Amino acid sequence: MRRSMCAILLLACSAGGRPQPDEHPVVSPASVHPLGAKEAALPTGEIGRRIAAAADGEVVEIGPGVYHERIQVTRPLTLVGRGRPVIDGGGSGDIIEITAPGVTIKGFAVRNTGIDLEQENAAIRVLAGNAVIEDNVLEDVLFGIDLRESPGSVVKGNRIGGKLLDIARRGDGLRLWRCDHALVDSNIVHDGRDTLLWYSTDITVRGNSASRCRYGLHLMFSDDVKIEENVLSENSVGVYLMYSTGVELTRNQLLNNRGPSGYGIGLKETDQFSATDNLLVGNRVGVYIDGSPFSDKKPGEFTHNTIALNDIGLTFLPSARGNELTENNFIDNIDQVSVAGRGDLSGNRFWKGDRGNYWSDYTGYDQNGDGVGDFVYESQTLFDNLMDKEPKLRLFLFSPAQQAIEFVGRALPAVRPEAKFTDEVPLMRPVPARYVTADNRGGSGFLAAAGCVLTALGGGIVLAVTWPSRSRRTASGGEVSGLTLVFGGVR
Amino acid sequence: MNTISVADELVVAGRRTVPPSHARNVLTVAHRELREAVRSRWFILYTVAFAVLGLGVSFVSTAVAGGTGLSGFGRTTAGLINMVLLVVPLMGLTAGAGSVASDRERGMLQYLLAQPVTPGEVLFGKFLGLAVSLLACLCLGLGTCALVLSWQGQPTRPGSILWLAGLSFGLAMAMLSVGMLISVLARKASVAVGTAVFVWLVLVFVTDLGLMAGVVSLRMRIEDLFLLSLANPVQVFKMWSLHAAGTTLDVLGPAGLYAMDQYGPRLHAIFAACMAGWVAVPMVIASVTFSRRPLI
Amino acid sequence: MIRVESVAKRFGRLVAVDNVSVNIPAGDSVALWGGNGAGKTTLIRCVLGLLNFEGRIQVGGHDVRRQGKLARMQIGYVPQELGFYDDLGVSEAVVFFARLKGLTLRTTDGVLASVGLEGHGRKRIRELSGGMKQRLALAIARLGDPPVLVLDEVTASLDACGRRDFVSMLTRLSGAGRTMLFASHRIEEVASLAKRVVMLENGKVSAVLDTAEFVSRSCPGSVLHMTLRPVVRNQAVTLLRESGFTATLNGVGILVPVENEQKAVPFRLLADARITVDDFELIPAAQLGTGGTTGHAESEIHP
Repeated sequence: MRRSMCAILLLACSAGGRPQPDEHPVVSPASVHPLGAKEAALPTGEIGRRIAAAADGEVVEIGPGVYHERIQVTRPLTLVGRGRPVIDGGGSGDIIEITAPGVTIKGFAVRNTGIDLEQENAAIRVLAGNAVIEDNVLEDVLFGIDLRESPGSVVKGNRIGGKLLDIARRGDGLRLWRCDHALVDSNIVHDGRDTLLWYSTDITVRGNSASRCRYGLHLMFSDDVKIEENVLSENSVGVYLMYSTGVELTRNQLLNNRGPSGYGIGLKETDQFSATDNLLVGNRVGVYIDGSPFSDKKPGEFTHNTIALNDIGLTFLPSARGNELTENNFIDNIDQVSVAGRGDLSGNRFWKGDRGNYWSDYTGYDQNGDGVGDFVYESQTLFDNLMDKEPKLRLFLFSPAQQAIEFVGRALPAVRPEAKFTDEVPLMRPVPARYVTADNRGGSGFLAAAGCVLTALGGGIVLAVTWPSRSRRTASGGEVSGLTLVFGGVR
Repeated sequence: MNTISVADELVVAGRRTVPPSHARNVLTVAHRELREAVRSRWFILYTVAFAVLGLGVSFVSTAVAGGTGLSGFGRTTAGLINMVLLVVPLMGLTAGAGSVASDRERGMLQYLLAQPVTPGEVLFGKFLGLAVSLLACLCLGLGTCALVLSWQGQPTRPGSILWLAGLSFGLAMAMLSVGMLISVLARKASVAVGTAVFVWLVLVFVTDLGLMAGVVSLRMRIEDLFLLSLANPVQVFKMWSLHAAGTTLDVLGPAGLYAMDQYGPRLHAIFAACMAGWVAVPMVIASVTFSRRPLI
Repeated sequence: MIRVESVAKRFGRLVAVDNVSVNIPAGDSVALWGGNGAGKTTLIRCVLGLLNFEGRIQVGGHDVRRQGKLARMQIGYVPQELGFYDDLGVSEAVVFFARLKGLTLRTTDGVLASVGLEGHGRKRIRELSGGMKQRLALAIARLGDPPVLVLDEVTASLDACGRRDFVSMLTRLSGAGRTMLFASHRIEEVASLAKRVVMLENGKVSAVLDTAEFVSRSCPGSVLHMTLRPVVRNQAVTLLRESGFTATLNGVGILVPVENEQKAVPFRLLADARITVDDFELIPAAQLGTGGTTGHAESEIHP
């Protein structure tokens, strides 16, 4: 039964359609099962006894120590760990389950869930609204915090470390299912599968970081979501928005998200969105746009973003139209903008009024000094064009053969490809960044040291060979080089 | 007559009947070759060209980042790799091609081989000497780049410059090896150098362009494409240095992804084996040929 | 010391050396005689183990192909012209070759002095004259005192004076019981250095002769040694050469090989040109060929 449900869900997603939430039977992704139905429940421990003894609304404080027990919070309580008590699940099943509204869990370390993906073993499972999960450290968990139909909940300041399993066997670090008006703030998620929002409206996701996950942040059918100041690095995809409406991405950093479908920001049939002041660096693809915006109610807005040093800055599927990109910095992406397969970008705009974008490969100049280049920026290198049509050709990137082709493209107008798009008013200087730059200058000192080592080695060889040492010169002037000391020679 | 004063006894350290060991002769020849190489014009030319090109590439890429202080796999590393791809094979091939053929043409080889050395010792000595001189050239060029870049405060991934230097040296050795094979087979120095330049063109441009044509027109499969590109030392160097510079090979599109998926952690070993093959195989063929017919 | 057994060498269809066998015992001195393309240089290259060939060559009991290094340890080789890295210093070159021969030199002074190159150690090889280069080559060949000297037309690129100096130096050196194998185009060299002469023709040994026999055969007459005033010597040589004599400058006069019926012809020619002959000596060719190791022939020519 459970399996068939999942299958239906998967089918619905992969079909690429836009199923409404109501078309689905209203069940959580895995059916709720009472604790201990399968696993032999540990005997009720001290925390369980304290909960049982507490009155509704009471604050229950738990002292430091390691507690091997499963916890069910069935009444509205505030459970506070003092000195970070550890609750250890012993490697099987769930650990904490909340079935009453208005429960707070704060200051615990929760670790060692089961690894049953079908049962969705979670460290903290919330099945009622207005929960506050704050300042907990979750380690070695399959699912971290799993909220189902918990509107008005707050997940704040938690650290969630997944199990180092193959990606297909991992669970989601953080998942919200039908949790409207929730706040996800300042959490750190690593080594999980996804941080995932399903069917949730009016959510704020702020100041979180996710690394080494599959999707740093994933929205499914979730509307009116504010995504602010998150740092999402080294995931497969930084932020993946699917079938959602009204999403604002502001001041996020999307760094080094790579892999077969490595995107900084992925947009699939998402509507009425804007991306402002984001930093996208070192991703395989900075922004991937598929069928977004979905309607023509509002253009997709990209403003003041810095898209730099990605393999591809921006990829459009041919169907994508209605996006407006202004005052973004496109810096040193190997391929600034590409269209997957054949197609053009005529349905999207790369300038508005007299402001376009900054393109690091713009070769024009600005005679009148108004900060805008006097010539149109056109993206039309022959090799980019070939790569868009035949991605396998990327293998020949950085090779002299690539440059030979570019050269031919420039020299012979006959083979010059059509411009993919034009920016009529390209900016001469990058737009000042408003994000906080991550400090990644640590390599500079090392670089200096490496430079010294290399120069010393090379110079040493040359000097040893050419600089005859005076004291070892033979009477008749036979020059004995320093290297002779190494190689032997006149003694 | 009286300008010559013939001593009845030559001042020698005494008669020896046991010839020096292979290693000693190889080192003797290598030392002399190295001295000559380092004093020669091409060495200075290549070193300066390498450093200047490297600095040019670095400055252009720093300027283009527009002072945003961004790091990543940017055009600095890519540009340096590109430059190495172009210059180092030419260095290695011409240095190797000039080595034996010109000596043979000028009669030096015959004189050298009339001494108690084997042709193999001469060949490996020359290889060693030239390899060390190329190492010095690369280190000076890349080291200068690194120093200037760090002075500029250019952020780079730690170690990538060392990797680049090491791998460039590997490529230089492979190309030197091919160059020496050409040199051993060629009858004239001019033919050897011409052939070396031709081989350079083939390795750097023609094979890649051919493979590209194959990809576009024959719909070549990804695995074939990857395996074929492993046959070209220049491509191997490129893939390896991208892999080693901390970037995943997915920069290179489907073929890179295939390589990561299929070989993953074994890629270093595979690249190393290919490169080692390109160093060893031409040298072995060269030394067998040379030992059989040193003078043609 | 050198044993050449049925050696043959082909370059494509050309047979350069065809079934040559020569045995040179220790202390012997053998000249290879023949025209260009007779196979002299090829045979010498075979002895040095520089070429593949059929047959067998042993030097000091070592097969030159299988134990090339050991065989070449026995050989000091002087080429026609020292073609070595021009930029190398003279002392550097000596040190380099000494190392190749497994020697450890305290200084190169003695080695250079032995061939009259003292003070030239810091020069580059390209700064040396042709004669000095050949002397350097000789010094290098003698490093480690090898029992065999192999010389390949060592004087071919020298002028007359340099040639005579070099040959006289060789004459003294080869006196110390060394085995010599050399190729030459010059009768007087063969006469003063060789004990035996191997005549090569089209790669085959046509004859092996004593030096005396060789000289009388290849020069069936006498050698006229005329003493002339220095100012006219060159003029005399030119004049005689124009008339078909192979006159050469020699010490205080000139040497002119003459056929038996023409002994007085040079006198007539010189008289016609008003060149005065102060003195003369007629040396029978048979006397020239008394063996190369004693310096006897030379002392006959230079009274």
